[in-house]
Amino acid sequence: MAMTTDPPVQERHAIGQSLKRKEDPRFIRGAGRYVDDIVLPGMLYMALVHSPYPHARINGIDKTAALAMPGVKAVITGEDLVNAGLGWIPTFHGYDKQMVLAVGKAVYQYQEVAGVIATSREAALDAAEVVDVDYEPLEVIADPFVSMRDTLIIRDDRENKTNHIYHWEVGDRDKTDAALAASEVQIDERIEFQRVHPAPLEPCGIVADMSGGTGRLTMYLTSQAPHAHRTVVSMVTGIPEDKIRIVSPDIGGGFGNKVPVYPGYVVATAASVILGVPVKWIETRTENLTCSGFARDYHMRVQIGATAAGNITALKVTTVADHGAFDAVADPSKYPAGLFGIVTGSYDFPTAFTELDAYFTNKAPGGVAYRCSFRVTEASYAIERGMDMLAQRLGMDAAEFRLLNFVKKVQFPYPSPLGFVYDSGDYHLTLRNALDKIGYKELRAEQAEKRARGEYMGIGISTFTEAVGAGPSKLFDIMGIKMFDSAEIRIHPTGSGIVRTGARHQGQGHETTWAQIVAEELGLDPQNILVEEGDTDTAPYGLGTYASRSTPVAGGAIALAARKVREKAKKIAAHVLEASEDDIEWEDYKFKVTGVPGKSITMKEVAFAAYTNPTPGSEPGLEATFYYDPPNMTFPHGAYIAVVDVDAETGYTKVRRFLAIDDCGTIINPMIVEGQIHGGLTEGFAIAFMQEIRFDAAGNNLNTNFTEYLIPTSLETPHWETDKTVTPSPHHPIGAKGVGESPNVGSPAAFVNAVVDALAPLGVKHIEMPLTRAKVWHAIKDARAAASAPLAQNGATHA
Amino acid sequence: MNLEWKGQEHIAADKATTWSFINDPALISQCLPDLLEAKIHTAHAFDAIVQVSLGPVRGKFKFKIVLGPQPGDSDMHLTISGGGLGSVVDLHASAHILDNGDGTTILDWTGKASLRGPIATVGGRVVDVQAQRVISTTFGNVKTHLAGAASATV
Repeated sequence: MAMTTDPPVQERHAIGQSLKRKEDPRFIRGAGRYVDDIVLPGMLYMALVHSPYPHARINGIDKTAALAMPGVKAVITGEDLVNAGLGWIPTFHGYDKQMVLAVGKAVYQYQEVAGVIATSREAALDAAEVVDVDYEPLEVIADPFVSMRDTLIIRDDRENKTNHIYHWEVGDRDKTDAALAASEVQIDERIEFQRVHPAPLEPCGIVADMSGGTGRLTMYLTSQAPHAHRTVVSMVTGIPEDKIRIVSPDIGGGFGNKVPVYPGYVVATAASVILGVPVKWIETRTENLTCSGFARDYHMRVQIGATAAGNITALKVTTVADHGAFDAVADPSKYPAGLFGIVTGSYDFPTAFTELDAYFTNKAPGGVAYRCSFRVTEASYAIERGMDMLAQRLGMDAAEFRLLNFVKKVQFPYPSPLGFVYDSGDYHLTLRNALDKIGYKELRAEQAEKRARGEYMGIGISTFTEAVGAGPSKLFDIMGIKMFDSAEIRIHPTGSGIVRTGARHQGQGHETTWAQIVAEELGLDPQNILVEEGDTDTAPYGLGTYASRSTPVAGGAIALAARKVREKAKKIAAHVLEASEDDIEWEDYKFKVTGVPGKSITMKEVAFAAYTNPTPGSEPGLEATFYYDPPNMTFPHGAYIAVVDVDAETGYTKVRRFLAIDDCGTIINPMIVEGQIHGGLTEGFAIAFMQEIRFDAAGNNLNTNFTEYLIPTSLETPHWETDKTVTPSPHHPIGAKGVGESPNVGSPAAFVNAVVDALAPLGVKHIEMPLTRAKVWHAIKDARAAASAPLAQNGATHA
Repeated sequence: MNLEWKGQEHIAADKATTWSFINDPALISQCLPDLLEAKIHTAHAFDAIVQVSLGPVRGKFKFKIVLGPQPGDSDMHLTISGGGLGSVVDLHASAHILDNGDGTTILDWTGKASLRGPIATVGGRVVDVQAQRVISTTFGNVKTHLAGAASATV
């Protein structure tokens, strides 16, 4: 049952309907067309050589043995690319550059060192094994807290001989420090968000095609942002943009991993240019986990002050970020730490300050938004853990503490102390609904009974707010390209149509959702609206799909393009109905003549007239394009509650219940939204309990495949309960806010809060993710040891 | 990942025979388990291709092995470097030979290995079990060869 903060709207034609996904018939029949399905005449295959050393000088590369292998056509090294002017490429936001293939030295383990091109994938892989690279191992730094000492400079190619990359801060430092010092109660805790990896089931890949003598480069690419990639390729290679076509076919999950430009793309493209034939490169699972964009790796210090009565007074978060060997974070240019400023969350802090310092280490570069809007997950985890820690310190109930400190509905639009203006929300309603639905009072009573019996049951709450939909072009750009998005709609004579956008779905359901927006705006049948994305030759320019920006930005463009179509249709309707345009109104999905009952025309009839009976003096046809520059981001929120039982003897945690109430504003397709939430919660569950890309002190990546980096199966995945409140965004054309990332952003804190709540009687205050059985067991063991130690000492003292 | 081992072996052959044996790449290489191919380059250096099976890391590894006899004919240093399938193994070992005076010798040895790449992800305990198997098999083969040589001499 939906709960809403606004009066009910009239039954809608297409929005709000759980249409089955139009794209699914081809997916469930195995008829999707992914990059690896593309086979072109004369195509060659590429395999990459990777450095086994995290840091090593490269004294030479001998290609001889590889070139002598059967089927091998070329071996490309970093020096070859340097000679072609492609040795280095700019990183995502343009503040750093990164080697395409290692030149001079390798700076992280598994760094790409050479590309081998052969007549088959197997031949390329076999030949890659015999490329003889003369490595001279160097000292390794795999820890940002060691890196900051600058005892060894990892990036000696840079002018500044330091491992420090940048400092970023926002908020009022002095006021916040003073408020913290004056607070009657405060916490000061270290909280880490471990390095994780999006690990889409389809790894990255490319078929680069410079064949055919047209001078035109076609790249079939696993790209979440085809137009941005086209522009970057043009800027890096000098190939005019009209000579580049990027086709992003079906994509098997992205989660931010398919936003950056990777060395494999560049080397395969260079190989196709050199050899004049198509070249395919498909990542292996290990390559995906070790080389392509990781996420998180934030080491945070969280300080929150409050009065003794529990009113929050100040927030300060100080972060050390491990960026690996290149500053390749996927954040907009003006936001090196992404939207971390959302760290005040759903709470009304009188003052706040946050600062971040980023460092190089001998680890793979990245920092992508893994199902997250540019570092929002890190921020959400920090504040939601911090609020629970402070509630525990105050001896207050975690829910009551949140309700006491939420931003109130009447405060919207709410200017946060860190610079955002939240568009809308009703945090009290969402949490209260969640508490009612899960039976919070009864669960607390059950918990008390179990604690009396020595059983460990926990209830964890997370009431997050996101900032998504980047973004207003005055604030957001990537390498100077403003982050607007676009839509082009063509309505055919028989009332069907096609919509193209600059977004690119990777499983989100755009082919259905976009059709519903157009159908809603124009009163047409969504089944007859074709959605096409991913081909830069046909789609209007856009910045792609990530950071929950599709519905807030491209979705807005679609609605407004449809309204442009409707405006033109109104003129045609007036012509056909022989009425003044001023007397035509759009009502019940028809054009009607005001005051003349029964005189109306459908959009389908108008479409036919647009081609058969156009308005004299007007342009025939029925189509429109709209580039939408949103006035603000949108701010979805939610209230999540996890209920867990922890076995103190084994550390095993069973997630008994999990309720997610999301408020993403207007919901276009409830079934798709629910599916998004299920997927995101499962990823959040994996992050909380299973996943981490670990490194040993020597810089070895210890999680290079799915036996070491776990993906939850149906056996581990809990049952998800979902519901919603609806607080439309006041500035979005249809009031939608975006939801794809909310469950990943909000759920990790709920899981950890629940486990820590379960173990609170033992004195456990925090456990770093992932909460593996071993880690939980050790936390219990350590807490019990700590609890008994002071007693022994006291006894000794008194004796 | 770094691993260390040490041990002591009782060899049923006199010191001169043992010393001569461990200085001979052709003989030493044949004691390696899972050896697919050995190529002798110099009096003290050879390449060995061995079949490796460590969890998901399965395939041919190629190693450069260099023997480093020390003056005095009692101490041998050994370096093994190489790998395969993206993994690298660097091993430094040393052995001290003690003459028991009864026609047998004691061989005290130590080894330190540094592992990088996929092999480092397999886990120390798995690697250690396999390493112990390689070590015991190698020394078992050395003992067998030397015992045979000693009995033939007698």
